[in-house]
Amino acid sequence: MAVLIDHEYPSRLQYKLDRITLDESIIKAKSALLNSIKRSVYLYRIDCGGCNGCEIEIFSTITPVFDAERFGIKNTPSPRHADILIYTGSLTRSMRMPALRAWQGAPDPKLVVSYGACGCTGGIFHDNYCVWGGTDQLFPVDVYVPGCPPTPAQTIYGFAMALGLLEQKLQRSTSAELPGELAPLPFEAIPYKVRTAIERKARVLSGYRSGKDMSNEFMAALESGGEDALISIQALISEASDPRKREVLTELKTELCALTASMEACYEQQ
Amino acid sequence: MFKTIKEVLRTGNATVKYPFAPLERPQDVRGKPEHNHVKCMVCSACAVACPPNAIQTPLDMREGTKTWSINYGRCVFCGRCEEVCPSKAIRLGTEFELAVMTKEDMEELCVYHLQACTQCGSHFAPAKQVAYVARILAQGKDTNTAAQKLEYAKVCPKCKQKYDVQRLMEQSKEEGEWLC
Ligand code: SF4
Ligand code: SF4
Ligand code: SF4
Repeated sequence: MAVLIDHEYPSRLQYKLDRITLDESIIKAKSALLNSIKRSVYLYRIDCGGCNGCEIEIFSTITPVFDAERFGIKNTPSPRHADILIYTGSLTRSMRMPALRAWQGAPDPKLVVSYGACGCTGGIFHDNYCVWGGTDQLFPVDVYVPGCPPTPAQTIYGFAMALGLLEQKLQRSTSAELPGELAPLPFEAIPYKVRTAIERKARVLSGYRSGKDMSNEFMAALESGGEDALISIQALISEASDPRKREVLTELKTELCALTASMEACYEQQ
Repeated sequence: MFKTIKEVLRTGNATVKYPFAPLERPQDVRGKPEHNHVKCMVCSACAVACPPNAIQTPLDMREGTKTWSINYGRCVFCGRCEEVCPSKAIRLGTEFELAVMTKEDMEELCVYHLQACTQCGSHFAPAKQVAYVARILAQGKDTNTAAQKLEYAKVCPKCKQKYDVQRLMEQSKEEGEWLC
Protein backbone atom coordinates (compact mmCIF):
# COMPACT_ATOMS: atom_id res chain seq x y z
CA MET A 1 0.00 0.00 0.00
CA ALA A 2 1.18 3.49 -0.68
CA VAL A 3 2.79 5.23 2.28
CA LEU A 4 1.05 8.53 2.87
CA ILE A 5 3.73 10.40 4.77
CA ASP A 6 7.23 9.96 3.49
CA HIS A 7 9.77 11.42 5.89
CA GLU A 8 12.71 10.57 3.68
CA TYR A 9 15.08 9.86 6.53
CA PRO A 10 18.16 7.96 5.41
CA SER A 11 17.52 4.28 6.03
CA ARG A 12 20.75 3.84 8.04
CA LEU A 13 19.19 6.15 10.65
CA GLN A 14 15.99 4.14 10.81
CA TYR A 15 15.83 1.22 13.17
CA LYS A 16 14.32 -1.84 11.57
CA LEU A 17 12.61 -4.58 13.54
CA ASP A 18 14.16 -8.02 13.29
CA ARG A 19 11.18 -10.08 12.31
CA ILE A 20 11.17 -13.50 13.92
CA THR A 21 11.01 -16.46 11.54
CA LEU A 22 9.98 -19.96 12.49
CA ASP A 23 11.99 -23.17 12.08
CA GLU A 24 10.80 -25.85 9.67
CA SER A 25 10.00 -28.23 12.52
CA ILE A 26 7.91 -25.66 14.35
CA ILE A 27 5.96 -24.82 11.19
CA LYS A 28 5.23 -28.53 10.73
CA ALA A 29 4.16 -28.94 14.36
CA LYS A 30 2.00 -25.87 14.04
CA SER A 31 0.14 -27.10 10.98
CA ALA A 32 -0.43 -30.42 12.77
CA LEU A 33 -1.73 -28.46 15.75
CA LEU A 34 -4.02 -26.39 13.52
CA ASN A 35 -5.49 -29.60 12.11
CA SER A 36 -6.06 -31.38 15.38
CA ILE A 37 -6.78 -28.54 17.80
CA LYS A 38 -10.49 -28.56 18.49
CA ARG A 39 -11.03 -27.80 22.12
CA SER A 40 -9.42 -26.75 25.34
CA VAL A 41 -7.06 -24.01 24.28
CA TYR A 42 -5.58 -21.58 26.71
CA LEU A 43 -5.11 -17.94 25.84
CA TYR A 44 -2.69 -15.37 27.03
CA ARG A 45 -3.37 -11.76 26.20
CA ILE A 46 -0.72 -9.07 25.75
CA ASP A 47 -1.63 -5.41 25.42
CA CYS A 48 1.04 -3.81 23.25
CA GLY A 49 -0.16 -0.25 23.41
CA GLY A 50 -3.81 -0.08 22.45
CA CYS A 51 -6.56 1.95 24.05
CA ASN A 52 -7.76 -0.94 26.26
CA GLY A 53 -11.00 -1.24 24.28
CA CYS A 54 -9.88 -4.58 22.91
CA GLU A 55 -9.23 -5.99 26.40
CA ILE A 56 -12.73 -5.04 27.48
CA GLU A 57 -14.20 -6.85 24.49
CA ILE A 58 -12.07 -9.95 25.17
CA PHE A 59 -13.50 -10.04 28.67
CA SER A 60 -17.03 -9.58 27.40
CA THR A 61 -16.39 -12.59 25.15
CA ILE A 62 -15.96 -14.80 28.23
CA THR A 63 -19.16 -13.56 29.87
CA PRO A 64 -22.16 -15.97 29.98
CA VAL A 65 -23.79 -14.38 26.92
CA PHE A 66 -21.02 -15.28 24.50
CA ASP A 67 -19.33 -17.81 26.74
CA ALA A 68 -16.08 -18.66 24.97
CA GLU A 69 -15.46 -21.29 27.66
CA ARG A 70 -17.97 -23.63 26.04
CA PHE A 71 -15.23 -24.28 23.44
CA GLY A 72 -12.77 -24.84 26.25
CA ILE A 73 -11.15 -21.48 25.60
CA LYS A 74 -9.71 -20.20 28.83
CA ASN A 75 -7.79 -17.10 29.76
CA THR A 76 -4.56 -17.91 31.62
CA PRO A 77 -2.47 -15.57 33.71
CA SER A 78 0.84 -16.85 32.37
CA PRO A 79 2.24 -17.28 28.84
CA ARG A 80 3.78 -20.59 29.94
CA HIS A 81 0.34 -22.21 29.93
CA ALA A 82 -0.82 -20.63 26.67
CA ASP A 83 -1.58 -22.22 23.30
CA ILE A 84 -2.75 -18.98 21.76
CA LEU A 85 -1.15 -15.60 22.28
CA ILE A 86 -3.43 -12.64 21.64
CA TYR A 87 -1.65 -9.43 20.83
CA THR A 88 -3.75 -6.29 21.02
CA GLY A 89 -2.52 -2.78 20.36
CA SER A 90 -0.31 -1.37 17.66
CA LEU A 91 2.99 -2.63 19.11
CA THR A 92 4.68 0.44 20.53
CA ARG A 93 8.43 0.72 20.79
CA SER A 94 8.44 0.27 24.54
CA MET A 95 6.31 -2.88 24.36
CA ARG A 96 8.66 -4.69 21.97
CA MET A 97 10.62 -6.45 24.72
CA PRO A 98 7.59 -7.53 26.81
CA ALA A 99 5.93 -8.80 23.62
CA LEU A 100 9.04 -10.82 22.79
CA ARG A 101 9.31 -12.19 26.32
CA ALA A 102 5.73 -13.43 26.24
CA TRP A 103 6.33 -15.00 22.83
CA GLN A 104 9.47 -16.74 24.04
CA GLY A 105 7.75 -17.82 27.24
CA ALA A 106 4.92 -19.66 25.51
CA PRO A 107 5.70 -23.27 24.57
CA ASP A 108 5.86 -24.26 20.88
CA PRO A 109 3.78 -24.84 18.82
CA LYS A 110 1.70 -21.77 19.58
CA LEU A 111 -0.72 -19.67 17.58
CA VAL A 112 -0.45 -15.90 17.40
CA VAL A 113 -3.60 -13.83 16.98
CA SER A 114 -3.46 -10.16 15.96
CA TYR A 115 -6.45 -8.64 17.67
CA GLY A 116 -8.17 -5.41 16.66
CA ALA A 117 -7.41 -2.84 14.01
CA CYS A 118 -4.29 -1.87 15.97
CA GLY A 119 -2.94 -5.41 16.08
CA CYS A 120 -3.69 -6.00 12.38
CA THR A 121 -2.21 -2.88 10.80
CA GLY A 122 -1.63 -0.26 13.48
CA GLY A 123 -5.23 0.94 13.16
CA ILE A 124 -6.00 4.48 14.20
CA PHE A 125 -2.45 4.85 15.58
CA HIS A 126 -0.75 3.60 12.40
CA ASP A 127 1.19 6.80 11.66
CA ASN A 128 2.23 7.59 15.22
CA TYR A 129 5.96 8.09 15.78
CA CYS A 130 6.29 5.40 18.43
CA VAL A 131 4.44 2.45 16.92
CA TRP A 132 5.70 -0.35 14.72
CA GLY A 133 2.28 -0.79 13.17
CA GLY A 134 0.92 -4.23 13.98
CA THR A 135 1.98 -7.52 15.49
CA ASP A 136 3.06 -9.03 12.16
CA GLN A 137 6.03 -6.63 12.04
CA LEU A 138 7.59 -8.73 14.81
CA PHE A 139 6.09 -12.25 14.69
CA PRO A 140 4.49 -14.51 12.12
CA VAL A 141 0.74 -14.11 12.75
CA ASP A 142 -1.81 -16.91 12.23
CA VAL A 143 -5.16 -15.15 12.57
CA TYR A 144 -6.04 -11.49 12.12
CA VAL A 145 -9.23 -10.30 13.84
CA PRO A 146 -10.15 -6.83 12.56
CA GLY A 147 -12.48 -4.45 14.37
CA CYS A 148 -12.04 -1.50 16.68
CA PRO A 149 -12.67 -3.20 18.99
CA PRO A 150 -13.85 -6.52 17.55
CA THR A 151 -17.27 -7.35 19.03
CA PRO A 152 -17.58 -10.57 21.05
CA ALA A 153 -19.20 -12.24 18.03
CA GLN A 154 -16.30 -11.15 15.82
CA THR A 155 -13.88 -12.52 18.42
CA ILE A 156 -15.68 -15.86 18.60
CA TYR A 157 -15.61 -16.04 14.81
CA GLY A 158 -11.84 -15.47 14.92
CA PHE A 159 -11.36 -18.24 17.50
CA ALA A 160 -13.70 -20.58 15.63
CA MET A 161 -11.65 -19.99 12.50
CA ALA A 162 -8.39 -20.65 14.33
CA LEU A 163 -9.87 -23.88 15.73
CA GLY A 164 -11.12 -24.95 12.30
CA LEU A 165 -14.83 -24.75 13.18
CA LEU A 166 -15.65 -22.08 10.61
CA GLU A 167 -14.28 -21.12 7.20
CA GLN A 168 -12.73 -17.79 6.29
CA LYS A 169 -15.25 -15.58 4.49
CA LEU A 170 -13.40 -12.43 3.48
CA GLN A 171 -11.24 -12.75 0.36
CA ARG A 172 -9.02 -10.22 -1.37
CA SER A 173 -10.98 -8.67 -4.19
CA THR A 174 -9.71 -6.69 -7.13
CA SER A 175 -12.05 -5.21 -9.69
CA ALA A 176 -11.83 -2.64 -12.44
CA GLU A 177 -14.18 -0.09 -13.93
CA LEU A 178 -15.98 -1.37 -17.02
CA PRO A 179 -15.61 0.74 -20.17
CA GLY A 180 -18.32 3.39 -20.40
CA GLU A 181 -19.54 2.73 -16.86
CA LEU A 182 -21.50 5.66 -15.37
CA ALA A 183 -22.21 6.36 -11.73
CA PRO A 184 -26.00 6.63 -11.42
CA LEU A 185 -27.19 10.12 -10.57
CA PRO A 186 -29.50 9.73 -7.56
CA PHE A 187 -33.06 10.97 -8.31
CA GLU A 188 -32.23 12.50 -11.65
CA ALA A 189 -35.76 13.85 -12.17
CA ILE A 190 -35.50 16.07 -9.08
CA PRO A 191 -33.54 19.34 -9.52
CA TYR A 192 -30.11 19.14 -7.88
CA LYS A 193 -30.76 22.12 -5.60
CA VAL A 194 -34.02 20.66 -4.29
CA ARG A 195 -32.43 17.27 -3.69
CA THR A 196 -29.44 18.63 -1.78
CA ALA A 197 -31.62 20.99 0.28
CA ILE A 198 -33.87 18.12 1.33
CA GLU A 199 -30.93 15.83 2.07
CA ARG A 200 -29.31 18.53 4.16
CA LYS A 201 -32.48 19.20 6.11
CA ALA A 202 -33.01 15.49 6.79
CA ARG A 203 -29.43 15.17 7.99
CA VAL A 204 -29.78 18.12 10.34
CA LEU A 205 -32.97 16.63 11.76
CA SER A 206 -31.95 13.02 12.27
CA GLY A 207 -28.32 12.39 11.48
CA TYR A 208 -26.54 11.04 8.43
CA ARG A 209 -27.80 7.49 8.50
CA SER A 210 -31.52 7.64 9.24
CA GLY A 211 -31.63 11.10 7.70
CA LYS A 212 -30.33 9.64 4.44
CA ASP A 213 -32.78 6.73 4.64
CA MET A 214 -35.70 9.08 5.20
CA SER A 215 -34.71 11.56 2.50
CA ASN A 216 -34.34 8.63 0.09
CA GLU A 217 -37.88 7.45 0.87
CA PHE A 218 -39.16 11.00 0.60
CA MET A 219 -37.58 11.59 -2.79
CA ALA A 220 -38.67 8.22 -4.13
CA ALA A 221 -42.25 9.24 -3.27
CA LEU A 222 -41.68 12.66 -4.82
CA GLU A 223 -40.31 11.16 -8.02
CA SER A 224 -42.95 8.45 -8.40
CA GLY A 225 -45.81 10.83 -7.52
CA GLY A 226 -45.40 12.95 -10.65
CA GLU A 227 -48.20 15.54 -10.70
CA ASP A 228 -49.64 14.25 -7.43
CA ALA A 229 -46.33 14.29 -5.59
CA LEU A 230 -47.75 15.97 -2.52
CA ILE A 231 -50.45 13.31 -2.22
CA SER A 232 -47.94 10.45 -2.36
CA ILE A 233 -45.77 12.25 0.20
CA GLN A 234 -48.80 12.65 2.45
CA ALA A 235 -49.48 8.92 2.06
CA LEU A 236 -45.86 8.20 3.07
CA ILE A 237 -46.28 10.39 6.16
CA SER A 238 -49.50 8.72 7.29
CA GLU A 239 -48.01 5.25 6.70
CA ALA A 240 -45.08 5.94 9.04
CA SER A 241 -45.69 4.32 12.42
CA ASP A 242 -42.81 6.02 14.22
CA PRO A 243 -43.88 9.51 15.37
CA ARG A 244 -40.29 10.78 15.01
CA LYS A 245 -40.26 9.70 11.39
CA ARG A 246 -43.62 11.40 10.80
CA GLU A 247 -42.23 14.59 12.31
CA VAL A 248 -39.14 14.57 10.08
CA LEU A 249 -41.11 13.76 6.92
CA THR A 250 -43.57 16.57 7.69
CA GLU A 251 -40.65 18.98 8.13
CA LEU A 252 -39.24 17.83 4.78
CA LYS A 253 -42.61 18.44 3.14
CA THR A 254 -42.70 21.99 4.55
CA GLU A 255 -39.17 22.51 3.25
CA LEU A 256 -40.17 21.26 -0.18
CA CYS A 257 -43.19 23.59 -0.34
CA ALA A 258 -41.05 26.57 0.71
CA LEU A 259 -38.46 25.64 -1.94
CA THR A 260 -40.96 25.30 -4.76
CA ALA A 261 -42.67 28.55 -3.75
CA SER A 262 -39.37 30.45 -3.84
CA MET A 263 -38.43 28.84 -7.17
CA GLU A 264 -41.76 29.79 -8.72
CA ALA A 265 -41.29 33.36 -7.52
CA CYS A 266 -37.84 33.29 -9.09
CA TYR A 267 -39.19 32.11 -12.44
CA GLU A 268 -41.92 34.74 -12.39
CA GLN A 269 -39.34 37.46 -11.85
CA GLN A 270 -37.37 36.21 -14.82
CA MET B 1 -30.81 -25.46 46.71
CA PHE B 2 -34.36 -25.80 45.31
CA LYS B 3 -34.56 -22.05 45.24
CA THR B 4 -31.42 -21.89 43.11
CA ILE B 5 -32.66 -24.56 40.70
CA LYS B 6 -35.99 -22.80 40.41
CA GLU B 7 -34.22 -19.53 39.69
CA VAL B 8 -32.05 -21.22 37.04
CA LEU B 9 -35.09 -22.72 35.34
CA ARG B 10 -36.91 -19.41 35.46
CA THR B 11 -34.01 -17.47 33.96
CA GLY B 12 -33.33 -19.95 31.14
CA ASN B 13 -30.26 -19.98 28.94
CA ALA B 14 -28.60 -16.63 28.30
CA THR B 15 -25.84 -17.87 25.98
CA VAL B 16 -26.25 -17.10 22.28
CA LYS B 17 -26.08 -20.03 19.84
CA TYR B 18 -23.46 -18.37 17.66
CA PRO B 19 -21.28 -19.77 15.94
CA PHE B 20 -23.55 -22.83 15.52
CA ALA B 21 -26.50 -20.68 14.44
CA PRO B 22 -26.48 -17.27 12.72
CA LEU B 23 -26.32 -14.31 15.04
CA GLU B 24 -29.22 -11.87 15.07
CA ARG B 25 -28.04 -8.34 14.53
CA PRO B 26 -29.92 -5.04 14.46
CA GLN B 27 -30.16 -3.31 11.05
CA ASP B 28 -28.11 -0.27 11.98
CA VAL B 29 -25.19 -2.03 13.62
CA ARG B 30 -21.74 -0.85 12.52
CA GLY B 31 -20.46 -3.72 10.39
CA LYS B 32 -18.28 -3.99 7.32
CA PRO B 33 -18.41 -0.94 5.02
CA GLU B 34 -19.93 -2.24 1.78
CA HIS B 35 -18.60 -0.46 -1.29
CA ASN B 36 -20.64 -0.44 -4.48
CA HIS B 37 -18.04 0.08 -7.17
CA VAL B 38 -20.57 0.92 -9.89
CA LYS B 39 -22.15 3.75 -7.90
CA CYS B 40 -18.73 5.07 -6.81
CA MET B 41 -17.20 7.89 -8.87
CA VAL B 42 -13.83 7.95 -7.02
CA CYS B 43 -14.22 11.48 -5.71
CA SER B 44 -11.99 10.53 -2.72
CA ALA B 45 -14.27 12.25 -0.20
CA CYS B 46 -14.24 9.04 1.85
CA ALA B 47 -10.45 8.78 1.68
CA VAL B 48 -10.13 12.32 3.04
CA ALA B 49 -12.66 11.67 5.80
CA CYS B 50 -11.41 8.23 6.88
CA PRO B 51 -9.63 8.81 10.23
CA PRO B 52 -7.13 5.89 10.07
CA ASN B 53 -6.62 6.08 6.27
CA ALA B 54 -8.21 2.68 5.77
CA ILE B 55 -9.55 3.99 2.47
CA GLN B 56 -6.88 5.30 0.13
CA THR B 57 -7.12 6.43 -3.47
CA PRO B 58 -3.61 6.50 -4.93
CA LEU B 59 -3.22 8.08 -8.37
CA ASP B 60 -1.10 6.68 -11.16
CA MET B 61 -0.69 9.58 -13.58
CA ARG B 62 1.44 7.59 -16.03
CA GLU B 63 -1.09 4.78 -16.37
CA GLY B 64 -3.98 7.21 -16.07
CA THR B 65 -5.69 5.32 -13.24
CA LYS B 66 -6.97 5.98 -9.77
CA THR B 67 -7.35 3.01 -7.44
CA TRP B 68 -9.96 2.95 -4.70
CA SER B 69 -8.75 0.68 -1.93
CA ILE B 70 -9.90 -0.24 1.53
CA ASN B 71 -8.12 -2.22 4.20
CA TYR B 72 -10.64 -3.78 6.59
CA GLY B 73 -7.80 -4.48 9.00
CA ARG B 74 -7.40 -0.77 9.56
CA CYS B 75 -11.02 0.32 9.47
CA VAL B 76 -12.42 1.48 12.82
CA PHE B 77 -16.08 1.23 11.68
CA CYS B 78 -16.80 4.88 12.39
CA GLY B 79 -19.10 5.47 9.40
CA ARG B 80 -17.43 8.71 8.29
CA CYS B 81 -17.12 7.34 4.74
CA GLU B 82 -20.86 6.71 4.60
CA GLU B 83 -21.52 10.17 5.97
CA VAL B 84 -19.55 12.01 3.30
CA CYS B 85 -20.23 9.89 0.20
CA PRO B 86 -22.15 12.05 -2.29
CA SER B 87 -23.31 9.19 -4.51
CA LYS B 88 -24.42 6.78 -1.76
CA ALA B 89 -21.82 4.25 -2.85
CA ILE B 90 -20.62 3.12 0.57
CA ARG B 91 -22.70 2.03 3.53
CA LEU B 92 -21.90 0.17 6.73
CA GLY B 93 -23.56 -3.25 6.50
CA THR B 94 -24.16 -5.90 9.14
CA GLU B 95 -21.35 -8.27 8.10
CA PHE B 96 -18.96 -8.91 10.98
CA GLU B 97 -17.17 -12.17 10.11
CA LEU B 98 -14.01 -10.48 8.94
CA ALA B 99 -11.21 -12.52 10.53
CA VAL B 100 -8.61 -13.81 8.05
CA MET B 101 -5.53 -16.01 7.99
CA THR B 102 -3.53 -13.90 5.52
CA LYS B 103 -3.21 -10.17 5.66
CA GLU B 104 -3.79 -9.59 1.94
CA ASP B 105 -7.34 -10.90 2.22
CA MET B 106 -8.34 -7.83 4.20
CA GLU B 107 -7.84 -5.57 1.19
CA GLU B 108 -10.29 -4.66 -1.52
CA LEU B 109 -9.29 -2.73 -4.63
CA CYS B 110 -11.03 -1.22 -7.61
CA VAL B 111 -9.23 0.48 -10.49
CA TYR B 112 -10.80 3.46 -12.30
CA HIS B 113 -9.67 5.45 -15.33
CA LEU B 114 -8.76 9.11 -15.41
CA GLN B 115 -10.13 11.52 -17.98
CA ALA B 116 -7.61 12.76 -20.52
CA CYS B 117 -8.02 16.44 -21.42
CA THR B 118 -9.42 16.81 -24.93
CA GLN B 119 -7.04 19.74 -25.59
CA CYS B 120 -3.66 18.79 -24.13
CA GLY B 121 -4.14 15.08 -23.40
CA SER B 122 -3.03 15.16 -19.76
CA HIS B 123 -5.01 13.26 -17.14
CA PHE B 124 -6.78 15.46 -14.62
CA ALA B 125 -9.78 13.80 -12.89
CA PRO B 126 -11.55 10.43 -12.83
CA ALA B 127 -13.67 9.97 -15.98
CA LYS B 128 -16.70 8.88 -13.96
CA GLN B 129 -16.53 11.99 -11.81
CA VAL B 130 -16.31 14.25 -14.88
CA ALA B 131 -19.38 12.57 -16.40
CA TYR B 132 -21.25 12.82 -13.08
CA VAL B 133 -20.57 16.54 -12.75
CA ALA B 134 -21.49 17.18 -16.40
CA ARG B 135 -24.83 15.44 -15.88
CA ILE B 136 -25.59 17.58 -12.82
CA LEU B 137 -24.67 20.73 -14.77
CA ALA B 138 -26.89 19.58 -17.63
CA GLN B 139 -29.91 19.80 -15.31
CA GLY B 140 -29.51 23.59 -15.15
CA LYS B 141 -31.33 25.72 -17.69
CA ASP B 142 -29.06 27.79 -19.96
CA THR B 143 -28.01 28.04 -23.58
CA ASN B 144 -25.53 25.12 -23.66
CA THR B 145 -26.83 21.63 -24.38
CA ALA B 146 -25.96 18.59 -22.28
CA ALA B 147 -23.54 17.30 -24.93
CA GLN B 148 -21.76 20.67 -25.03
CA LYS B 149 -21.46 20.69 -21.26
CA LEU B 150 -19.91 17.24 -21.27
CA GLU B 151 -17.39 18.44 -23.88
CA TYR B 152 -16.49 21.47 -21.75
CA ALA B 153 -16.15 19.30 -18.66
CA LYS B 154 -13.56 17.16 -20.45
CA VAL B 155 -11.10 20.08 -20.64
CA CYS B 156 -8.48 20.29 -17.88
CA PRO B 157 -8.37 23.37 -15.60
CA LYS B 158 -5.10 24.60 -17.16
CA CYS B 159 -6.51 24.57 -20.68
CA LYS B 160 -9.67 26.27 -19.43
CA GLN B 161 -7.57 29.05 -17.89
CA LYS B 162 -5.62 29.48 -21.11
CA TYR B 163 -8.83 29.64 -23.10
CA ASP B 164 -10.35 32.18 -20.71
CA VAL B 165 -7.31 34.46 -20.96
CA GLN B 166 -7.39 34.27 -24.76
CA ARG B 167 -11.07 35.13 -24.78
CA LEU B 168 -10.51 38.07 -22.44
CA MET B 169 -7.70 39.43 -24.61
CA GLU B 170 -9.79 39.14 -27.76
CA GLN B 171 -12.68 40.83 -26.05
CA SER B 172 -10.61 43.71 -24.76
CA LYS B 173 -8.98 44.18 -28.19
CA GLU B 174 -12.42 44.42 -29.75
CA GLU B 175 -13.46 46.97 -27.20
CA GLY B 176 -10.21 48.83 -27.77
CA GLU B 177 -8.97 48.82 -24.19
CA TRP B 178 -6.18 46.75 -22.61
CA LEU B 179 -6.47 45.07 -19.29
CA CYS B 180 -3.56 45.74 -17.04
S1 SF4 C 1 -8.16 -1.74 17.86
FE1 SF4 C 1 -9.39 0.00 18.56
S2 SF4 C 1 -10.28 -0.72 20.50
FE2 SF4 C 1 -8.58 -2.10 20.02
S3 SF4 C 1 -6.81 -1.21 21.11
FE3 SF4 C 1 -6.81 -0.38 19.02
S4 SF4 C 1 -7.89 1.57 19.17
FE4 SF4 C 1 -8.39 0.39 21.01
S1 SF4 D 1 -17.01 9.15 -1.27
FE1 SF4 D 1 -18.33 7.62 -2.29
S2 SF4 D 1 -18.21 8.14 -4.48
FE2 SF4 D 1 -16.50 9.21 -3.46
S3 SF4 D 1 -14.79 7.76 -3.67
FE3 SF4 D 1 -15.75 7.32 -1.68
S4 SF4 D 1 -17.22 5.68 -2.12
FE4 SF4 D 1 -16.65 6.57 -4.09
S1 SF4 E 1 -15.93 3.22 8.59
FE1 SF4 E 1 -14.48 4.83 9.20
S2 SF4 E 1 -12.49 3.80 9.31
FE2 SF4 E 1 -13.87 2.42 8.19
S3 SF4 E 1 -13.49 2.90 6.04
FE3 SF4 E 1 -15.23 4.17 6.70
S4 SF4 E 1 -14.30 6.14 7.35
FE4 SF4 E 1 -12.64 4.61 7.25
